Amino acid sequence: MGQFIQLFVDGLSNGSIYAVLALAIVLVNQATGMINFAQGGMAVLSAYATWWLTEHGLPLVVAILVSILLSFVLGGLIERFVMRRFERGDPDTAVVVTIGLLTLITGICGWLWTYNNKQFPSLFSLKTVDIFGAAVSVRSIGTFLVIVAIMLLLQALFLGTKLGLALRAVAINPQSAAFSGLPVGRLLMAGWGLAAALGAVAGALVAPQLTLTPGMMDSALVYALAAVILGGLSSPIGVVVAAWLIGVLENLAAVYVHFIGYDLKVAVPFILIFVVLIVRPQGLFGRKVVVRV
Amino acid sequence: MSSITGFLSRAWVRWAITAVVAVALLVVPLLFSEYTNQNLARIGVFAVAVLGLNVVMGYTGQVSLGQIFFVGVGAYVTGYGATHDWNIVVVFLASVLVPGVIGLVVALAAARLGGLAIAMVTIALPIIGVPLAKRLSDFTGGSQGLSSAFSNAPDWTGLYNDQWQLYLVIVIGGATYLLTRNLVRGKYGRAFAIVKSNEAVAASMGISPYRYKVLAFTVASLIGGVSGFLYMAVIQFTSPETMTFSHSITLLASMVIGGAASIIGSLLGGAYYVLVPQWSNDINPNLTELLQGALLLLTLFLLPGGLVTLPREIARRLRRSRPDGGPERRQTPSAEPAPGREAVEETPTVGGIPTQRPTERQEQA
Repeated sequence: MGQFIQLFVDGLSNGSIYAVLALAIVLVNQATGMINFAQGGMAVLSAYATWWLTEHGLPLVVAILVSILLSFVLGGLIERFVMRRFERGDPDTAVVVTIGLLTLITGICGWLWTYNNKQFPSLFSLKTVDIFGAAVSVRSIGTFLVIVAIMLLLQALFLGTKLGLALRAVAINPQSAAFSGLPVGRLLMAGWGLAAALGAVAGALVAPQLTLTPGMMDSALVYALAAVILGGLSSPIGVVVAAWLIGVLENLAAVYVHFIGYDLKVAVPFILIFVVLIVRPQGLFGRKVVVRV
Repeated sequence: MSSITGFLSRAWVRWAITAVVAVALLVVPLLFSEYTNQNLARIGVFAVAVLGLNVVMGYTGQVSLGQIFFVGVGAYVTGYGATHDWNIVVVFLASVLVPGVIGLVVALAAARLGGLAIAMVTIALPIIGVPLAKRLSDFTGGSQGLSSAFSNAPDWTGLYNDQWQLYLVIVIGGATYLLTRNLVRGKYGRAFAIVKSNEAVAASMGISPYRYKVLAFTVASLIGGVSGFLYMAVIQFTSPETMTFSHSITLLASMVIGGAASIIGSLLGGAYYVLVPQWSNDINPNLTELLQGALLLLTLFLLPGGLVTLPREIARRLRRSRPDGGPERRQTPSAEPAPGREAVEETPTVGGIPTQRPTERQEQA
């Protein structure tokens, strides 16, 4: 039982990181209709920025905050100067552009900081606390709580502020939003910036565990995409639940299902997807998209 | 410009060109050094892989990030069969069919989701493929990999190994190119094109987007299997490294940079896949990925049709910069899309499918 609880909490913590990345992907998708495969790469760049700042003497919390801010700016700039050209065009081309961005950003990280692993300081202590007889790490609980807090903040932003209202308007119908005087371009930049800032949080939380390398987020990106498919692109809550489900299930499967084991647990979300696709093609919580011709 | 294309479209000229190319392909392996031959053979291997990717992505418009996985599976099946002394024909068939069946199963599920879901699912293939290959070490040799020298030149030919292997690539790769070219120029190719440009229109014409996506993806994985067989024949070694995520992205970049929805573009893509990393590794291995990302983005910004459209693009720029360019262009409107097949395929086929297009394309073939 102790092991089960431990696996469950660790799974929730991993799932939270996938959830943040998945939320960033959904955010961009809602605003622009594209899937940003570079989201993980941008998060890695943010993590490197954080690491670089701590190496230069900044305290970790300050470094993370500065890096979140920088990521916001960078995300906006990428939207304006790279993605803007492809937004109204073919979505497949836009996807290839984000893959190019992913390669470029990974390449920049590798070039500036080499491909060797770097130790990243942890925000939380590595101690464990005793919960119902299970030794649960403070880091897992901390990660989970931080991410729940971020989700509440996001929810407040989207439902309680004027900026959130404008962002939602642009997501639903950019043309009408423009007609009613909203600065659509700037709002899209803000959307990308927010997504990048979310990625920065995910990067800072996952880097101590995985150690920092340019390809650190590749598998996290795969998990996040799986969560996006399972949860349905139109449902942020669904995506978060799916990410937690994936995090917990893969951890349990790694230990209790002999064939899967630790090395193949990345297959778990995709087995899940195959099952779900056959039963509910629109995702667990998504709506069926109906296109008017 | 129009006189050149007019000249090129005459039947006897086309036959002559075909004959020259065929003779050149037969002679080339005998002329070059071992190093050049090996490089050419590798280009051939990856040109076939890029061609497969082009079927699903270039022609049918479904982003696939998993093509390298099928190449890897093909290579593993070849290696396993060859080390267990199967008949070479059986090895070849198995190395093509096994990836094909896996591709079919993946596509049956992934294509159910519309839009970009195929990209989101196929990204998992290389990421799952690497640990899976390590796990199934009884078949794959684990991290050590699998080597097999089944493709050394037989004694009766009197050829060197590199020459024999290049011939294998030319014959099998060439046949794959011909078959694929016929596929994408024919009825299926037009169905792919309309699925790419507008699924709703395709459905309204009785062309099921789901079925054609599955078909394109399966064909792509079959071709990936061919490429895997050739990979094993040329490199004689495979390991989980063959199908890493970064190779998958390089393959995609090669396709886009070479030219999407283009047969020649696939060849250029194969050359890119082999030569550019070699070249950038010579400069600085840490820069390889950065250069590749930059090249891919530059291509998308400046030359969305890929390298294969470069001559046409240059001609267009030159004409535009000439002061009397305007009227001349108006006089020969048909010359504009003619030089490259891509223009024909990229113009939305939705509007006027039935009338002229099929004959036009056959003439160019």
